[in-house]
Amino acid sequence: MNMRLVSGAPLIAALLLTGCTLSPLARQTAAFSSATSFVVDNSEDAFRSAVRRNDRVQSALLVARYDTQPMDPHAIKHLIDAEGLRTRRTVLDGLRSYAQTVADLAGGVSSKQLDDASAAVGSNLVSLGSAVSATTPVGIAITPEQANGASTAMKALGEFLISRKINGSLPKTIEAMDPSVDALCKLLLDDIAVLRRQSGNDYEVLLMEQDAFIRHAGKDLQPIERRAEIERLPQILAEKQAADDMLADLERCVRQLALTHHALAAAAGKKDAPSLTARIAELSATGQRLASYYQSLPTATS
Amino acid sequence: MSNKKIATLPTKAHATMTIATAMKTEKAPATTTTPATTMMPVATTAAAQAPVTSYDAIGDAINSYQQLFDTLGRAYWDATDMHSKDTIQGTREAVYEILTGLSRAKLEANATAYKALLPKIEHANKALEEIKEDIRTITKNINTAASVIEAISKVLAVAAKL
Repeated sequence: MNMRLVSGAPLIAALLLTGCTLSPLARQTAAFSSATSFVVDNSEDAFRSAVRRNDRVQSALLVARYDTQPMDPHAIKHLIDAEGLRTRRTVLDGLRSYAQTVADLAGGVSSKQLDDASAAVGSNLVSLGSAVSATTPVGIAITPEQANGASTAMKALGEFLISRKINGSLPKTIEAMDPSVDALCKLLLDDIAVLRRQSGNDYEVLLMEQDAFIRHAGKDLQPIERRAEIERLPQILAEKQAADDMLADLERCVRQLALTHHALAAAAGKKDAPSLTARIAELSATGQRLASYYQSLPTATS
Repeated sequence: MSNKKIATLPTKAHATMTIATAMKTEKAPATTTTPATTMMPVATTAAAQAPVTSYDAIGDAINSYQQLFDTLGRAYWDATDMHSKDTIQGTREAVYEILTGLSRAKLEANATAYKALLPKIEHANKALEEIKEDIRTITKNINTAASVIEAISKVLAVAAKL
């Protein structure tokens, strides 16, 4: 039995086969996943900030009414209750998981597990050659190069099969998911519209309560205290503007996310990959800006 | 903070009833004080709408109350005496609470819509997991091939000793 292997052939086959895996989909899904993660993080932050800000206004009203219309502190009600926040977090985390898995699948044709399994095939072939030589008159000497060739061929075969599986199944899943992503983005946009209006109103009431406090405190405030309280007025307005800018950015980001997923679904069907690249670049930039904003913000609204 | 008198519009109670289906909250306050006369026509217009139950009607109610809230805001900063400011403040707070209730109602309605989306997202994630599992099977099959080769080697090694 001639078991001599042509060591160059598997390498050529490997190059041919792995070439199939470098699709536009594989190149873009990682960026899409990262941009989705930004949107999810920023949306969750926006919900939490909105609740904290509204709580703050209710506290201000509690203080303002304390002497004339006592209010039970237990009556303070969150803008979004725990269940509402949990539902949104579950859905958004589901979206994040989806994007991450799509990226893993599209970009993860090669894996350590496959490499290890392929390497084991080569090294075990060497052992098999030695065992056959020792027990039969057939002389089989498998060199390390040949074993490596066999491992590479096995890895290429594995990658080919995985790639075929991904290319066959993943685009369908992405296309099927597109209407759900669209619906989710519309819901998020509706939420953001509510949060923007509510945020503006919250700050307006805070501003008015602060002004009333200064007016009624009159000369009870020391000059330095009075100055500090008056200085809070423009600060509240600046916070209002910053919060609105952030929510407007988030709105743009969510719109981009929906368009990017449409483009991803099109790219999955190999229809419109270039527009996907542009969408992802815009989405990532907006998301990054939002993330920086939130990292600088939390204490301002707490 | 101030110790002003709170002027609460009757519109709050009315609005509460009209959006009760969606909100299930917002009780009418016990205290009702006559607000600044200049504000009444606007408030009455907003409150005089037919009871609203649909999502769009909530949107219309929000727009009306928002206009009132903004108008009261301008009036507050234009007012020059404490009494007028306090009166407007009380009225505006009442309108603010109505708007906040409407916001809660919309956010709560959206939460239900989010819940409806969840099975679809879970279904997609399950489909992706199945693809992952298929891929694991391919790797496992290669591992099996390696194991078979290893097993044959061991058998042959044992046979050589016989």
